[in-house]
Amino acid sequence: MSELFWSAIGVFNYVVIAYFVLLNSVYLTTSLFAFGALRRYAERLKSLDLTELIGSSAALPISLMAPAYNEERTCVESVRSLLTLEYPDYEIIVINDGSKDSTLERLIEAFQLEPSSRIPTAEVPTASVRQIYHSQSHPSLWLIDKENGGKADALNAGLNYCYTPLFCAMDADSLLEPEALIRIVRPFLEDATTVAAGGILRIANGCLVDRGRVVEVGLPSNLLAQFQVLEYLRVFLSGRMGWAALDSTLIISGAFGVFRRSAVVEAGGYSTDTVGEDMELVVRLHHHFAGLNLPYRIEFVPDPVAWTECPESVSVLARQRDRWQRGLWQTLLRHRGMLLNKTYGKVGMLAFPYFFFLEMLGPVIELLGYVAFTITIAAGRADALYVTAFLAVAIILGGVLSLAAVALEELSFRRYPRLVDLLKLFGLAALENLGYRQLNTWWRVKGTYSALRGRQTWGAMTRRGFRTKERGEVV
Amino acid sequence: MAQVPSLDWLDPARDPALFTLVVLAVALLAVTVVFSVYAVVLRIRNDRREQRRTALAARWQDALLTALADSEKTPDLHRLVDPNRQLHFVGFVLQFARRVRGEETGLLRDIVRPFLGSVVARLDSDRVEVRARAVQTLGTLGLPDHERRVIEALADPSPLVAMVAARALAKEGDPQYAEFILAKIQRFTVWNRPYLASMLAAMGPEISAGLRRGLADPGLGAWARSVLAEALHIQRDFVAGDVAAGVVATTDQRTAEERDLLVSALRLLAEVGRPEHVPVVRARLETHDVAVRAQALRALGRLGGQADLPLLVEALDDAFAWSALYAARGVRDAGGRDFLVEAAKSSDRRGRLAAQVLAEEGAR
Repeated sequence: MSELFWSAIGVFNYVVIAYFVLLNSVYLTTSLFAFGALRRYAERLKSLDLTELIGSSAALPISLMAPAYNEERTCVESVRSLLTLEYPDYEIIVINDGSKDSTLERLIEAFQLEPSSRIPTAEVPTASVRQIYHSQSHPSLWLIDKENGGKADALNAGLNYCYTPLFCAMDADSLLEPEALIRIVRPFLEDATTVAAGGILRIANGCLVDRGRVVEVGLPSNLLAQFQVLEYLRVFLSGRMGWAALDSTLIISGAFGVFRRSAVVEAGGYSTDTVGEDMELVVRLHHHFAGLNLPYRIEFVPDPVAWTECPESVSVLARQRDRWQRGLWQTLLRHRGMLLNKTYGKVGMLAFPYFFFLEMLGPVIELLGYVAFTITIAAGRADALYVTAFLAVAIILGGVLSLAAVALEELSFRRYPRLVDLLKLFGLAALENLGYRQLNTWWRVKGTYSALRGRQTWGAMTRRGFRTKERGEVV
Repeated sequence: MAQVPSLDWLDPARDPALFTLVVLAVALLAVTVVFSVYAVVLRIRNDRREQRRTALAARWQDALLTALADSEKTPDLHRLVDPNRQLHFVGFVLQFARRVRGEETGLLRDIVRPFLGSVVARLDSDRVEVRARAVQTLGTLGLPDHERRVIEALADPSPLVAMVAARALAKEGDPQYAEFILAKIQRFTVWNRPYLASMLAAMGPEISAGLRRGLADPGLGAWARSVLAEALHIQRDFVAGDVAAGVVATTDQRTAEERDLLVSALRLLAEVGRPEHVPVVRARLETHDVAVRAQALRALGRLGGQADLPLLVEALDDAFAWSALYAARGVRDAGGRDFLVEAAKSSDRRGRLAAQVLAEEGAR
């Protein structure tokens, strides 16, 4: 029995090593692809005259859809920020998703909203809509007041009342940069088959915000938030850019993405029975269009930026990661028919298997790997030199991948202007492998457990608010 | 004296796996150092480059403004441009050129003329992005001197380069350039149609006759003709009504491109048509294609009169929301406002449609 146990542990250790090699090979590959793609993109931007597009009558009309639930503290400021975007033709549709606080009253008062009539142009099922409001002071601003149904349900309600060919899904408290829309709409102009495009999310903690715009970029003082800055750089610049270079974008963040309205309606709108409605929609678009052999493109664009506030407490971050992992499980299991299915091209043969085996099952393998390694070492069955060398490789490789993302940022957008911030990011690249990564693995394993139990709740996301000139602290 | 630790364990012959791991760790550590140094060097280099550029731009800007005010001062500006900074200088002037039009563009072109040789050389680059940038620069600052090269770029293997060339030529607004763009329009099928239409429309009414000829020409293909119809729609070319009616009357609806052409032609007809075009519009109301029917209702509302009210009222119950909405607007435009006021008292779909259209009227 004992020998059987140790044999099993030995085999499992090899599984963990194989997982480790495979995962990091994928990370390195996407980083390399991202490197080439970012260089080309930076060159390409030089031949694009944004002012020409902004002044053009051809800029496709967009509806910004901002679901709001209990956002009384930030909703007015957020909408004001949306009203200042530089884009020739856009509407703002705020969806009050049955807020229990005074979100609705504040918006009505601030923007002179009055009951209005607007017939739906699509019939995606949603919770009941109570009233449509139209601003008397800002004709491009509409508000849908509806019963609570969750974010996906709110977006579906917005979709039903959307009159423009494109819509932008975002969080009510995200701050879009003024040129974000004109930059993200470019793929739709350059390729008529584009059905979705995602922009980049950056962490606003530590930045100075003035009248809804980030005016000074800096690293947050909170260590947990600092780790997330690095993590977002890695996820977006190395990961999503790399996958986009392989024509295999599988995720567009719910906080900032633009979609062709007709395509989303055709695919059935947002799914309301998952907590990962953003990823689920993108995977479903692939499933739908590739399944029907229709031409389509889903793009990632690295320079349109939405600034978002990230959690600064362990408990809130844990809830967020738990939810992300559940969303991943729900989405991938629902569309498991795409796994290694040639019908879906590179998405089915590359991206889907990566997310399925390495992102969905990975945390469990990783956590069990920690346990198995610990047991092996404690029982004196592992050569200390081997263990030390392996751990050194693992930690340094993690650092290399993070540093690659920092280098990509430096090569392309250079949003952190102070050298000290750059040096801090180096330090974080080394530090995050000593605790933060393991914590993340733990939260994702918990998320896996929750997914298997069928848990559906979102969990509260507590926000501190942005640092502003007036208050020096929060809005 | 302290003993040097033994490194016997690192003997590759004794334990190749351990040796591999250690070599890997050391190699990765080296990569870490390389990445860190690379990022810091990039930062320092970029900061310095930025400082140099800012300083140069400050020097050039004053001299440029002086030269714009007095062309005899242009040689003074040219003397400030180092031979290995010529491309940079052209890029600097390009930023100005994007913000000005007409006579000032001409002055800027005169100023950069001696430096465009280095840009022309980049047209032969293997890299698409470099060629695109060169075409854009020549299209903005090098016309008409380098028009042949920009026109040739319409046939570049890269769609991006071809499109940049088309945009640059279109921006110039010269009708003779429109002919070259129209001759190559099939190259741009991947681009968004409204975007292309807007680009063509921006060239002005001088090209409208050419657009009308193209729209009437079945040999051009349905996709290209729909772009031309959209361009005429943006231009509100009131002479295009008969051509649009002809397209609506004769186009079959077998392919997606033909359907798009019909939709575009109906949209154009709604804008510039006359009452005598109503019969061809009515004939399209029978279609099962929701987009065509919606545009037909829109055109009927705009062009029809009291006699068409029953058709429009009936279409208020169309299951396709856009058709119903256009029908409601049509009822309003065809003189049925009283009907809408009465209908708006109800809370059913007709009532909400009526209320919405009446509210739009108030907002106008």
